[in-house]
Amino acid sequence: MRRTNKWLLMLLIAFAVIQCIQPARNKSGQVLQTDITNMYEVPADVQRVLKSACYDCHSNNTRYPWYSYIQPAGWWLAHHINEGKEELNFSDFGSYSLRRRISKLRSIENSIHDGSMPLSSYTLLHRDARLTEEEKRLIIAWVGGLRD
Amino acid sequence: MKHIILIATANIVFFAACNGSNNQPKTGNDTVQSAQVTTSEKPVATADQQSTSSVKEIVNSYLKMKNALAGDDDKGTAAAGDAMVAAFDKFDKSSLTADQKKVYEDVESDAREHAEHIGKNAGNIKHQREHFDMLSKDMYELVKTFGAGQQLYYDHCPMYNNGKGADWISETKEISNPYFGKKMSGCGTVKEELK
Repeated sequence: MRRTNKWLLMLLIAFAVIQCIQPARNKSGQVLQTDITNMYEVPADVQRVLKSACYDCHSNNTRYPWYSYIQPAGWWLAHHINEGKEELNFSDFGSYSLRRRISKLRSIENSIHDGSMPLSSYTLLHRDARLTEEEKRLIIAWVGGLRD
Repeated sequence: MKHIILIATANIVFFAACNGSNNQPKTGNDTVQSAQVTTSEKPVATADQQSTSSVKEIVNSYLKMKNALAGDDDKGTAAAGDAMVAAFDKFDKSSLTADQKKVYEDVESDAREHAEHIGKNAGNIKHQREHFDMLSKDMYELVKTFGAGQQLYYDHCPMYNNGKGADWISETKEISNPYFGKKMSGCGTVKEELK
């Protein structure tokens, strides 16, 4: 009994210590000149879908869930957000070359079309990020329109 | 049991304490991150890399990729993707005119990313082909601007992309379709000869 208590104590201490290593938060609050909304027409319904299903990992503003304050969950999220933003950042879309923008729009269409985005691990916890067929069509039509 | 509750409470207090202090430096971070993304795309030229550099190497890795895709070889495709990234790294921009440099940098910003993706996606040939489609447009621009030093053909496949069609560059006049592979190897037409 004493032995298990000791282990439990060590585990709890370790858990407490890692809480102090909080990753930087992805929440700038400001809209950059290069934000996609400053570059292209983004209709309100498209914007709503982008915000609820994409922006958490593909913009400079994440809506953090409560468990993001608890490590290691927060680390895992930060890693995902970094990867997502590197791939595509709607907040900085204007800094991409024209060629790259067109490719990004194509990739958005492809990944929405075959359902690889939003990630299933994300939609599992964010039910509002699951896209209906209607919403998928909306996004695909929007990026298709921008490309032309 | 009492102990555990005590420790748990201490834990929560501790957690709350360190949480507060760590949350402060929020702003400013994002601009730094995005700046890093853009700068990391520029190739870093080191002394020994500058000697052997030409578009030819980039185009060659593209052709290898194309042939691997035509043979449904995802691993070979990925290897060619990595080779293309290396070719971009080696490329010496210093001899280019201002106009050429503009085209090159525009193409590279996009093509490098496709090459990286293709390199990382062994096992997912469908995804590799999606990127190959976009990469082919970049390569066309590159060959048009710089020439390839060899006879090339710009081919068209009308069926890919749900019938929207896609293009690719080949070194042979004979069609060998990289989008459908062995399944429909002969599907496509030559739409332009490049020199």
